[in-house]
Amino acid sequence: MKWFLMLLALPAFLFPLASLVYILSHAWDSLSWSLIFGAEESSSMIEAGQGLWPQIIGSLWLMLWACILALPVAISLALFHALYASRPQQRGLMMILQLLQGIPPIVYGLCGLIVLVHLLHWGISLAAGGVILAVIVLPLLTSNMIHALERIPAEQTESAKSLGLSPVQIIGRVWVPLVWSGFLTGLLLAMARALSETAPILFTATVFSGVDWPDSMLSPVTSLQTHIFYLAQEGSDAHAVGVAWASAVILLMLILCFSLLALALRRLEEKV
Amino acid sequence: MNLSHKAVPEPIEGSQKNVGHAFDSLCCEHLYLHLSNQIILKDVSFSLPEKGITSLIGPSGAGKSSLLRCITGLNETWQGDIKLNQQRLRQWHGGVDALRKHIGLISQKPSVFPVSIAENVIFGLSRKQRKQNQSRWIQHCLEKAALWDEVKHRLNMPAASLSLGQQQRLCLARALALKPSMLLLDEPTASLDPRSKELIEASLRQLAESMPLLCVTHDLQQTQRLQGQVIFMCDGKIIETGSCGDFFEHPERIETREFLQWSVCDCGD
Repeated sequence: MKWFLMLLALPAFLFPLASLVYILSHAWDSLSWSLIFGAEESSSMIEAGQGLWPQIIGSLWLMLWACILALPVAISLALFHALYASRPQQRGLMMILQLLQGIPPIVYGLCGLIVLVHLLHWGISLAAGGVILAVIVLPLLTSNMIHALERIPAEQTESAKSLGLSPVQIIGRVWVPLVWSGFLTGLLLAMARALSETAPILFTATVFSGVDWPDSMLSPVTSLQTHIFYLAQEGSDAHAVGVAWASAVILLMLILCFSLLALALRRLEEKV
Repeated sequence: MNLSHKAVPEPIEGSQKNVGHAFDSLCCEHLYLHLSNQIILKDVSFSLPEKGITSLIGPSGAGKSSLLRCITGLNETWQGDIKLNQQRLRQWHGGVDALRKHIGLISQKPSVFPVSIAENVIFGLSRKQRKQNQSRWIQHCLEKAALWDEVKHRLNMPAASLSLGQQQRLCLARALALKPSMLLLDEPTASLDPRSKELIEASLRQLAESMPLLCVTHDLQQTQRLQGQVIFMCDGKIIETGSCGDFFEHPERIETREFLQWSVCDCGD
């Protein structure tokens, strides 16, 4: 029975591993420092100049803005859920968060394109991409924070209340020491999610070429995801496809960094 | 935090702004509590003497713990009137947080904060008070809770390193650090070993000489050891009240006699 179950579970391990090996094998020839940081002289258009550095920074900028915008809203929602919401309100909030998590990212992208880019005249911009990504990561971030707060033993809160501590004191002196690692784990997972989204930022924030660094929040930005998307369509150009694979490896590494950090923090939290 | 015992203790500042003296009574009048369409407390009226222990006994689900939660404001949906020293709880100056500093609550399951033993004792004090040298006050509270001798050399150790019985006494010390005017205890020794039980009971008897104590318990032998007054509750109502001796020797109501009979049978089993 044990071996049968392990056999059934094997594809879940093998498939991602095989994908990783496949991507690495295709990207290996194109991966170089000059691809990332650029080279003064190169036969390749991509390596000449700044390399993939603007795309990496662009992806990180979008991720950062998404988290900056989503974090205060997520914290407020999680605290409202823990402190003031009635049972029906709690159930309603969790249901809405689950529904929001189920909406395909491309639908968010379309909404962003219509509302932010066209109706509000923000254009294809860092701001529009940041807002749409914030909306996408908000349910994940909020759910993680709600679960972190739910793990606080009720006795701790009641003891603090019975000592006459105000809600603000309870949050600061009892809850924060107990949940900071859970909150950080949620944030890192949200960062990884923001980095992995492509469709919404294609519609709202990113362009393939003509931009190195955004001048303002209302300027377009270039990103690794967009870069991969456009280069992968150049099937006839082996070098372009190689660079697309290399970009995919860099993006994977970035996502992996945040996910592994989140995993390590969760382990730490469980030990404490 | 400097824990030098030679230092002059800092006074614990103003925790009793509402009254100039200790409360001489807790008075509940026609208290009702509904939770999830169920009546938990029905017309509960009683008052506590100026000092001494009052044991609150009754079968599970009688509403004993709910009554304590109403008094401390952990449950605020009650109807009726609760007064502390003739002052209504609902009109308490400074709100429910200020009120809770006057009423020490010890729960059945000890819950210590993930800080040191010393920091746990002064956890409920204001930031200003905590920054002052409270070493003598910490010692005083731990002595009152019969814990000082066991922890005096490890005050900076995590409170979680203490045994369950020690943690419960630490909770008692933490409540006493706020100079409460009365103590509410919800089965404080239910999960403790006989030695810890004995130590806590000794502390409670000593504390009862200076303040009123309301102690929920299922342990009738403990009620007899603690003496004082007894309130018997059943189905959310107060059935009988009286001194410990009268209650056990001459119960008036049939419900009380049945409860005592069952409890004696339980003890016998």
